Order: sequence, then structure tokens, then C-alpha cells
Amino acid sequence: MMTREQRTGLALMLPPALLLVAGFLLPLLFVVYTSFMPPRTFGLASPPTLENYVTAVRESYWRPFAWSIFFATATTIATGLISWPIAKALVRSSRRFAVTVSVLIAVPVFIAESVRLFGAHLFLMPRGGILAGTIQYLLGLNIGSVLFTPVATLLGLFYIYLPFALFPMVLGLSLVPRDQLEAAQDLGASPWQQVRYIELPVASPGIIIGSLLVFVLALGATTEAHILGGQSAVPVVHAIEQRFNYAQDWPLGSALATVLCVITAALVFPLISRLNIDRLFSR
Amino acid sequence: MRPEQAERGRKIWTVVVLVLLYLPIVSIILASLANTRYLRFPHSSWTLEPYRQALGLDQTYDLQMTSLKIAVSVALFSVIIAVPGALAFARYDWTGRKLYQRLLLLPVFFPQSVLGLAALVTLSALGVNLSWKTAVFTHAVWIVPIVTLIVSIRVYGLDRAQEEAAFDLGASRLQAFFRITLPQILPGLSSGALFAFLLSWSNMPLSAYTTGVDTTLPEWLYSRMATNYAPMVPAVSVLSIIASIIFVLVWQAGRVAVTRMAAKIAGRDLD
Repeated sequence: MMTREQRTGLALMLPPALLLVAGFLLPLLFVVYTSFMPPRTFGLASPPTLENYVTAVRESYWRPFAWSIFFATATTIATGLISWPIAKALVRSSRRFAVTVSVLIAVPVFIAESVRLFGAHLFLMPRGGILAGTIQYLLGLNIGSVLFTPVATLLGLFYIYLPFALFPMVLGLSLVPRDQLEAAQDLGASPWQQVRYIELPVASPGIIIGSLLVFVLALGATTEAHILGGQSAVPVVHAIEQRFNYAQDWPLGSALATVLCVITAALVFPLISRLNIDRLFSR
Repeated sequence: MRPEQAERGRKIWTVVVLVLLYLPIVSIILASLANTRYLRFPHSSWTLEPYRQALGLDQTYDLQMTSLKIAVSVALFSVIIAVPGALAFARYDWTGRKLYQRLLLLPVFFPQSVLGLAALVTLSALGVNLSWKTAVFTHAVWIVPIVTLIVSIRVYGLDRAQEEAAFDLGASRLQAFFRITLPQILPGLSSGALFAFLLSWSNMPLSAYTTGVDTTLPEWLYSRMATNYAPMVPAVSVLSIIASIIFVLVWQAGRVAVTRMAAKIAGRDLD
């Protein structure tokens, strides 16, 4: 016999759980199944085949995967390094400074990614762009542009994903006891030793969650490359979209998507299973 | 380096990064103030003409309406599902809760474009016609977990003694929920609804594959940026940003008014 608490919990979890099964797990199963259908077919009636995965390897689709993994790694490292001093400033300064800065950083998250990246595009454009035009006007210098290079894609990724690295890091750093740091200082610990032996270990859950979030989202990012990088470096989701839209080859697109999902799951599952969710959200 | 110096250095760094983060938005505003076919900054003449064009265009009205319909539906739907979802997440202790909590986190740690494509594959395999309604569903898959987490933070802080006292005084479960629990988690629901609205309003990757015949504002902007630039495009972007700012202000004002009214009613109850 189930307890009352058990029955209530099960009943209450049903609405979101059904939504996720129908809208998340089921679609992923459809994608995986489609990836075993013969190339360029629609529908799920044909006998399964591994052909799409063979094609993916033969037509060197590892290239977009390599670009995406490179982009995601660079973005994770860069946003982490950029965030660290900001997170420390937010944790240690006055409440007013912290709230103002947090709000200013959070607000753009609610402006469409494509719109913000388009703004970055207009800023970086060669000649008549906002940056190049201003420098030309003020200094008479004609500067080049990073637009349509992988560097522009990277800048866009740093720009979009910085808040996702920063806010979990702030949460982590806010757990560092102030007096422990002061005691370490009094005992002659160098700034680096304070970071290494006090701040990093205590803040690590926040930093790890933030890094993972940034890595996974950057791995699946495509708008940055579309709007800023042009065709200079094609990330994996762009390759998948091309299979779906232009090539009308859903099975191959699904095969690439399945590989991406496997990589994502391999990174996300170990962390999520170790997370103490109750402690994370109750404060 | 002395600690105070380090502190100052960090603050300067923070301000520098903040300025860099706003450059793209400033650029959009600057670009919208010209009437030349291509961007040639600094403009030879500055004008608000693109805004007149943007406001005069019937199409932008339709786009705003489609985006609004989707965002409002997603916000409503998310809040309705997130209330039981958050109670199951944080309030009750049941076997399977740990698994449920983890399942709920998955869509957040997942590339949205792939989620949109997966929805497209599934909906077309099931023979569903794509429209703004299918976009609501797909948005909800991503947004409901986020709203549930936001409401859960509130549920963790619930004062359970109040609920138990209500039961002791003979309240039914529904009465206890509507008189005790719901008012306590209301601020969480309010932020959750606001988040849901804004996330849906600005979403592109999910809409791109699931709106079918309908077009949302971010979708339209995206296609015009790529192929058919005119100063009206940044102008429409700025207008859409202004629309969401107005929405946030109205929402917060309404929230303050409701809180005051609730306080008044509660005060009268006590008298």
C-alpha cells in the first residue's frame, strides 16, 4: 500500500513528466529511429540500416564535430576566465553594486539571441560598420574586420554564453566563508593559495554546473556561426540543419543529431546524477 | 598587489565587460537611425524614418501578434504545469523523486535547435500540421522545466507548519492549498510566468522548426537580417526589445498592486 505522501508526489509529477515524455523523450526516440532509415527517405516504414552512419564517417562529417568541440571548449574556458573576477567583485562588493551589475548582465538574456548577434554583426562589419566606421571617422584609419572568420563566431559565443558561466559561479563563490579567507590571509597565504585551497574547492559545484551548461549549449550553437562566422567554420548543428533543410536528407541529419545527443548525454548524465539537487535549490 | 587594488581592478574589469556586452545592442539602435539602404556609419543624416516604416507595416503587427499569442499561451501553460511539478519536485518525499528531478533538468542541458528538429521529425511523422500551436507545445517542453525550477526554489522555503495548522483546524486539502500554499508560492509563480513569457517571446531555434505557416518576430528578423537588410530591420528589433521592457514594467506594477490589495484584504480578515 502506498503512503499518502507517495501517492500525492506521483500524482503531482504527472503533468510535467507526461509533457517531457511526449515532448522530449519521444521526439528523441523518433530522431534515433529516423537515423536508421535509408538515406533521403521520409517516414519510418523501411527496414533499418546503418548506412547513414557509414556516410557520416565517409563524407568526413567529423569536421563540423571537431569545430563544435573546439568552439565549445574555447567558450567554456574563456567565459570561465572572464567571469572569475566579475563573480568575485559581485560576491565581495556592496549589495547595490552586485544587484545593479547582475540585472544589467541578466537583461540581455531575454533579448532574442539572433537580434543580439545581429547587433554584434553590425558592430563588426567592415568599412561602414559601427566600429570600423567610427574609427575611420575619428582617426582616418581603415581597419580590417574579423567578421566571417571563426574568431567572430568565438566572440559571439563568449558574448551569448557569459551569463550562463557567471551566475552559477557567483552562487558557488557566495558559499566561501569570509572569515576563512581572512584567516588564510593572516596566516600568510598568497592570493593564489587562497584561490587554490579555499575558493576553488568551495565554489567548484557552481563552476562545474556553469561550465557544463556553457559547453553543452555552445556545442549545440549555430546562430553565432550563421550571423558572425559565415561559412568560415561550420558547426555541427549547422551541418545537421543543412541536411534537414536544403538536402532534404532527414535520416543523415538525424544520424548526426543522434551522435551529438550521445556526446551531450555522456557529459551531462554523470554530472546530473551526482548533483545534490535539494541542496542546490533550497536556500 | 594589495587587496584594495585587486578589488578595484576587478570592479574596473566588470565595468569594461558590461560595456562590451552592451555594444551590440547600442549598435542596433545606432543602425536603426538611418535611411540608407546599406549601413554606412557614421550616417550622413540621422532620422527616425525607419521607425515610422516599422510601425506602419501591417506585417510587423501580425508578427507581434503571433509571438504574443505563443508567449502568453506558454506562460499560462507553464505556470499551470509548474505548480504541481514544483510541489512534486520540492515538497513531497516520494520514491522516484530523484529520477524525476533529473529528468526535469535534461531539456535545460540540451541544444535547442536539436530539440526543435526532433519536434519537427515527430510531429510530421504523426501527421500534425505545424502552426503557432505546435510552437507553444515545443516552447513548453523547454520552458516548463525552467519555470518548475523557479517555483521549486519558493516551495523549498514553504512554512509547512502553516499547512499542518490549517489541516488541524479542519481545512480540506483544496482549502489548504488555495488559502495557505498558493499565496506563499505566488511570488515564484509571478517570476516564473514572466520568465516563461520573455523566453518564449525571444526564442528563435525552437520556433524555426515548429511554427509552420505562422511566423514569429524573431524568425522574421532572422530571415531579413540574412537576406534583405534595411534600417527598418534594426528598428523592428528595437521595437521588440521596447515591447518586452514595457511588458516587464507593466507586470511588475501589476504585481505591486496585487500585493498591496492582498495585504489590505488580509488586514480586513484579521479585524
